[in-house]
Amino acid sequence: MKKSRISIKIKSRHLLVALGILCFIMILGTLTTSAVPSPIRNAASMFVTPFQNGVNRIGTVMNGWASGFRNVRKLKNENEELQARIDELTEDNNRLIQCQEELTRLEELYKLDREYPEYTKVAASVIAKDPGNWYSTFVINKGKADGLAVNMNVISGGGLVGIITETGDHWSSVRSIIDDENNISAMIATTSDTCIVSGNLASMSNGRIDFSELRDRGNVVEEGTNIVTSSISTQYLTGILIGYVAEVAEDSNHLTKYGTIIPAADFKNIREVLVIQELKQTKENS
Amino acid sequence: MKRKGIMLLLIWVAFILQSTVFKLQTFTNVSPNLLLMMTVSIAFMQGKKEGILAGFASGLFLDLFFGSILGIYSLLYMLLGYAVGHFASIYFDEDVTIPVILVTVGDFLLNFIIYIGGFLLRGRVAFPTYLMQIILPEMVFTSIMTLIFYRLIYRINHMLSESEKEERQSIWIRD
Repeated sequence: MKKSRISIKIKSRHLLVALGILCFIMILGTLTTSAVPSPIRNAASMFVTPFQNGVNRIGTVMNGWASGFRNVRKLKNENEELQARIDELTEDNNRLIQCQEELTRLEELYKLDREYPEYTKVAASVIAKDPGNWYSTFVINKGKADGLAVNMNVISGGGLVGIITETGDHWSSVRSIIDDENNISAMIATTSDTCIVSGNLASMSNGRIDFSELRDRGNVVEEGTNIVTSSISTQYLTGILIGYVAEVAEDSNHLTKYGTIIPAADFKNIREVLVIQELKQTKENS
Repeated sequence: MKRKGIMLLLIWVAFILQSTVFKLQTFTNVSPNLLLMMTVSIAFMQGKKEGILAGFASGLFLDLFFGSILGIYSLLYMLLGYAVGHFASIYFDEDVTIPVILVTVGDFLLNFIIYIGGFLLRGRVAFPTYLMQIILPEMVFTSIMTLIFYRLIYRINHMLSESEKEERQSIWIRD
């Protein structure tokens, strides 16, 4: 009886101050050590990740039904369009296979190493996204136990999606390239001119990301030019497609250019992603 | 104790829903802030102390799973819970206007602080864009969610109060 009376007498102000101090300790702790408190997160995730996984699966199924009913006509049109596109692509593919064969032949002839090796990839599905609206990070259902590690690149639909920032046993969090705090060293696929690609919340609503500091020496960059990750990036593997140039303009210094990119990965419907199980070789980890 | 357990459970459900179902559609679309709604509702119905605890718990969920700096959201949500707790004295029935106003104002303030700390200080000065694209839609969504769910939270709170009253009486009779 006495005990309960004491606990009632704790004033709200005292509670506020006590928890406030706790918050400051946590903030200072994470800021000074700059290490993410993975063990705590890992333990806490046991109470959340399985449920997110389940709820999301149910949600996806229901969402599928709903949109299935909604879009029958749309799907029919789309199907026709896609069929036409398949024909087109098959033709292209045939041509490309021939080119590829020729390339391998020539490579053998010149004893060149293959510049873009096939990376080993692991498929994972997105189970949760940042609940807030300011940042674009998400959680996938594979982690350390599946051979994932921090800084591995994540792709989807042929384009770069993001990079793993944290891993647990059975989950990893990924910061997407459209996140406002994300910057990538990139280059023009054809000329290897480098630029910086940075996510921007303001352009993201139009489905775009920004690029800047592009030194376009050959003056070849125009709408539709491919932009890929650059060879000098420390975190991203070389030559992964980021997207296509949508707009380009010259800076006031007349030396560099800036503009926006339409990302190759479809960020509107991201469910399944592929994680490339290979880390970029750098001075530190080689 | 029972009340705190149930409130924690509600916050946990809100967090799971908010990170999955409400985010399922797209990356770029804005989703309602259910955790803020829970914090504000609990603080408004039960006062400062519960507001602080609910805010701290909600913020901690965000920090643990998505924040880059542990403790920031805990602090913000806790202060919000404390501030809303001051309005607990005018809480009397299931009238939904005041909580909706509180949620709307609270959501604006919270997002404004996040904008200043996370965006303005990095040189993103286009406040109107962020206001129109993030803050306003989130405010509207969150207040609509409050209109829908506040009754439910109220019922749960009401039921808890009733059962607590009964328990207290039975102890009193036994003594």
